[in-house]
Amino acid sequence: MAPDVAGIERLEDHEIAVDPPAIEAEFRRIWRDTSGGEDASSIRLRVLNFVAFAHERADIERFERVVRLLPQRHPCRAILALAGPEQETLRAAIAVLCWRPAAGAAHICAEEVRLFGGAGEQQEVASAVLGLLVPELPVVVWLMDRPELGGRMSGELIDTADRLIFDSAGQADGVGTFDRVLRAGQRWELALSDLAWGRLASWRALIAQFFDGEGVKQLSQIQSIEIASGGGSLSSEALLLAGWLVSRLGLSLADLNTSAERIEATLYDRTRGVTLTVARDDDAGAAPLREVRIRTSEATLGVEVHAESAHMHVREQWDDAPARRTVASLPGDDASVIAMALDDYADPAIYAEALGSALALLASPVAGS
Amino acid sequence: MTTSTLNPLRAGLRLPRTPDACALVVFGATGDLTARKLVPALYNLARERLLPGGFSVVGFARRGWSDEQFRAAMKDAVAKFSREPLQDDIWESFARSLHYVSSDFGDMPGYERLGERLKKEDSAHGAGGNRLFYLATPPTAYAEIAHHLGEANLSRSPSGGWARLVVEKPFGRDLESAKKLDQSLGLVFRERQIYRIDHYLGKETVQNILVFRFGNGIFEPIWNRRYVNDVQVSVAETVGVEGRGGYYEESGALRDMVQNHLMQVLALVAMEPVASLHGDGVRDEKAKVFRAMLPVGDVGRATVRAQYRAGAILGQQVPGYREEDGVSPASEIETYVALKLMIENWRWADVPFYLRVGKRLPKRATEVVITFKKPPLQLFREMGGDNIDPAANLLVLRIQPDEGISLRFGAKVPGTRSDVRPVNMDFRYGSSFGVEPPEAYERLLLDAMLGDSTLFTRWDSVEASWELLTPVLDAWLQGASPLRFYDAGTWGPDEARRLVEQDGREWHRM
Ligand SMILES: NC(=O)c1ccc[n+]([C@@H]2O[C@H](COP(=O)([O-])OP(=O)(O)OC[C@H]3O[C@@H](n4cnc5c(N)ncnc54)[C@H](OP(=O)(O)O)[C@@H]3O)[C@@H](O)[C@H]2O)c1
Repeated sequence: MAPDVAGIERLEDHEIAVDPPAIEAEFRRIWRDTSGGEDASSIRLRVLNFVAFAHERADIERFERVVRLLPQRHPCRAILALAGPEQETLRAAIAVLCWRPAAGAAHICAEEVRLFGGAGEQQEVASAVLGLLVPELPVVVWLMDRPELGGRMSGELIDTADRLIFDSAGQADGVGTFDRVLRAGQRWELALSDLAWGRLASWRALIAQFFDGEGVKQLSQIQSIEIASGGGSLSSEALLLAGWLVSRLGLSLADLNTSAERIEATLYDRTRGVTLTVARDDDAGAAPLREVRIRTSEATLGVEVHAESAHMHVREQWDDAPARRTVASLPGDDASVIAMALDDYADPAIYAEALGSALALLASPVAGS
Repeated sequence: MTTSTLNPLRAGLRLPRTPDACALVVFGATGDLTARKLVPALYNLARERLLPGGFSVVGFARRGWSDEQFRAAMKDAVAKFSREPLQDDIWESFARSLHYVSSDFGDMPGYERLGERLKKEDSAHGAGGNRLFYLATPPTAYAEIAHHLGEANLSRSPSGGWARLVVEKPFGRDLESAKKLDQSLGLVFRERQIYRIDHYLGKETVQNILVFRFGNGIFEPIWNRRYVNDVQVSVAETVGVEGRGGYYEESGALRDMVQNHLMQVLALVAMEPVASLHGDGVRDEKAKVFRAMLPVGDVGRATVRAQYRAGAILGQQVPGYREEDGVSPASEIETYVALKLMIENWRWADVPFYLRVGKRLPKRATEVVITFKKPPLQLFREMGGDNIDPAANLLVLRIQPDEGISLRFGAKVPGTRSDVRPVNMDFRYGSSFGVEPPEAYERLLLDAMLGDSTLFTRWDSVEASWELLTPVLDAWLQGASPLRFYDAGTWGPDEARRLVEQDGREWHRM
C-alpha cells in the first residue's frame, strides 16, 4: 500500500454497550472532543461502510491488519461482526483510527466498531450492524471465512450490501466453494470480489501483454499451457487462472483427467488442439502460483514469481533469443487486494466465466464421480 | 479497432493495452531532465509492468559515455529521484535495455550510428521498427535534430512501425519563432507524429478538472457567465531560479509558465463539454477557447510584470533575482506576471479570467478559483445580523500541493441572531485516496508510446496562445507596463492587487 502514508494510530479504544444509538453518541462525543482539543485539525472521512463477518477469534487480528491500511485508501466506518465462539458474550468496542496523509498534514480519522456475540447471538450482532451503517454510503461486506450467504447474514443486510468480498482460496472444499459462489452471485445480484482472483491481477496483466499489438497473432498458435500451482492441493488461484485462460481464449474441453494434484486437459479452438496442465509444484513454497508457461508454434512465453522478493520474471523466447525481465508484482496481502477490489476495474462477467471454466476443469469424469 | 477487442485477455483489466515494443531515443540523455524525470519515470513504468518486452532506450548526447557509464549515471539518478525505491533485480533487468550513442547534435555520422543501433534493437528485441524520439535538449537544438533525423531516414519507420517526436517546452519564444520551429519540424514530421509535452497536463489533478466538470451533473449548469463572477488561475512558487538563471534570462515567467501551463489549465476550465475523451475532442475544444479570447488590448492596464528583490522566505533570507547566478545585474526579466483575459463566447462573455504566476512567493500552491456571483437579494440584512453581507461562494480546485477541492458557502452562526459566516467544505485527494498518483512524466511517456495525444498540446493551441501573448511581450518591450519589484516572500507588487481591484474584485488568498 501507499508507502508515503504513516501507519494508523488507534485512539479511544474502549468497550461500550451493544447499542447503536449509544455508539453513535459516543462517536459524536469523540469528534467534538478531538476537534475542540489540542489537535483541532482532525478530519473524519468516510466513503463507505466496511463490514467484516467472522466466526473465529483468530480473525480479529486479521481484521485489525486490514483496518490498519484500508482506510487510508478507502476511508470507511469499519465494523467487525464476530459471532460464533462458544464462550463469547454479547459486547462491543469502538476505536478511532487516525493517520496523517503527509508529514505536518491534518489528522484523518476513521471509525471502527467491533461487535462480539456467542453462538446463539448471531441475530443480535447482525441487527446491530444494520443499526450502525452510515446512510447513503456503499456497504461492502467481507466474509472472512466461508463464502456463504444466509444464516449469519440476514437477508436484510444482503439486500443492503453493494459488494461482497470473500476468498475462494484456502477452502477445504474447492469444487463446493466455486459452486456456491457462482450460485450466490446469480441469486443475489451482488458484485462479488474474490480475493484469490484479485491476487491474479499481475499475472493476468503480464500474460495479456504477450498478446497485445503484433502478439495477437500468437493467440491462434498456442499449443500448450502449463500452470505450476503451490499449496497442498491445486490452489484456487491456479484453477482460476486456468479457467480464465480457457474461457477468454474460447477453448472447449475435449478430454480431461483430474486429480487433487493435477489436471490434464485437451482443449479445442475449432480444429486446433491445446493441452493444458495444472500441476502442484513442490518448489512453489507458500506461493499459490509459481509459474505459467505458454508455448506457441513460434515462441515460449512465461511468467514466474520469485519466492523471496515476490518480484516476477517475464520470459520470452523467440527462435534462439531468450529475453527476461523482472518487474514488481502487486501486493497480495488482504488489505491491498481488498483496496484494489474496491477500486473496481473488474468486469464481473470475466470472473464468472473463469469460475465456470474452473468448475468444468474440476468436474473430471475420472476423479469427480 | 482497439487492442482490447483483438486481445481477449485484456478484457476487464485495468489497462486496455500496453505499448507496442519500441525504442525510445532520448536526445540530451546526459542532462538534468533525463536524470530527474525521464529515466526515473521509465524505471517506474517498467517496474509496474507497463512497458512491453522489446522496449529499449537509446541515450544520445555529446559526452563520450559508454553504455556502462550511461547505465551507472542513470542508476544514481533513479536512486535519487525515483518515486519508488530502486530495487536491484528490477534495475538490472531494466538497465539491460539502456544504451548510449555519443555525438554532437550537428554531426551526421552520429545519426548514422544511431540508425545502426536502432536496427540492432529491432532485431535483438523485436522493437518492430517503432521509435519515439524525445528532445530533452536546449530548444535551439530541436530543429537541427529533426532535420538530421530526416536526413538519416529515421523519421519514418523502416518496417511499417511508427515514429513519433516528443518536444519539450518551450515551443518557441514568440509567435514567429514558434511558427519557424513548427515549419522546421513539419519538413520532417507530420503533426500527428509530434507530441508537444506540457507536463502540467500529465498531472492527475489537472486531468481531474475534466472529471470534476463533466463527471458530475451539478456543476456544469452553473459554469457560465450567469453565475460565475470571475475565474483565477494562480501558480505560486517559493523557489527562485534554482541555478537555471541563464535559462530564465532567456524566458521569464510569461514564456516559462503562462504561455503553456496556465493557458492550458485555463482552457480546461473554460472549454465546452466534449462528446468523447478519445481522439481530438478535448484538443478541439481547447483550441476553440483560445480562438475566442480577446486580444489583451491595453497591455498597461491588463498586465503586470514584476521581479523579486531580496527578502525572506519561510524564515530564510534569499537574494534578489538580479543577484542570482547567471542573471544580469540589470536584468529586466519578469519573475512575476498577473494578467486579465476575456473570452468572448456565449458562456464567458464579460467574465474576467485572471492569471498570476510568480517565483519567491510566500508559499507553493497552484489553484483555480471560481468565484460565483452573490445572491441577488441581501436577505439577512433585514434580520439585523452583524455579519450580514455573506462572502461570495467560491469553488477552489487545488492542483498542488495537497490536491483537492473546496467549496465556500455561508452558514448561520448558531444563536438568535442571523449572522452568516463563510465555511469551507473541503475534499482532499491525498486523504481520500491514500495512493500516490504517478508522476506526470510516467503518464505522458506511456501515452506517447501508446499513440494517445490527448494530453499533448496541438499546434493550433500553441499558435493561438502565442498570437495572444506575443503582442504583450512586444508592448512590454516598448515600455507598456513597466517592470515592478516585490520583496521575496510577499504576494507580488501592489499593481497586481490594483489589476483586480479596478474591476471590483480581489485575489483569492492562497
Ligand atoms: N530540467 C527540467 O527540470 C526541465 C523541466 C521542464 C522542461 N525542461 C526542458 O527540457 C529540455 C532539457 O533541459 P535540461 O534541463 O535537461 O537541459 P541540460 O541539463 O542543459 O541538458 C542538455 C542536454 O543536451 C545535450 N546537448 C546540448 N548541446 C548538445 C550538442 N550540441 N550536441 C549533443 N548534445 C548536446 C547535453 O549533453 P552534454 O551534457 O553531454 O553536452 C545534455 O545532455 C529543455 O528544453 C528544457 O526547457 C527541463
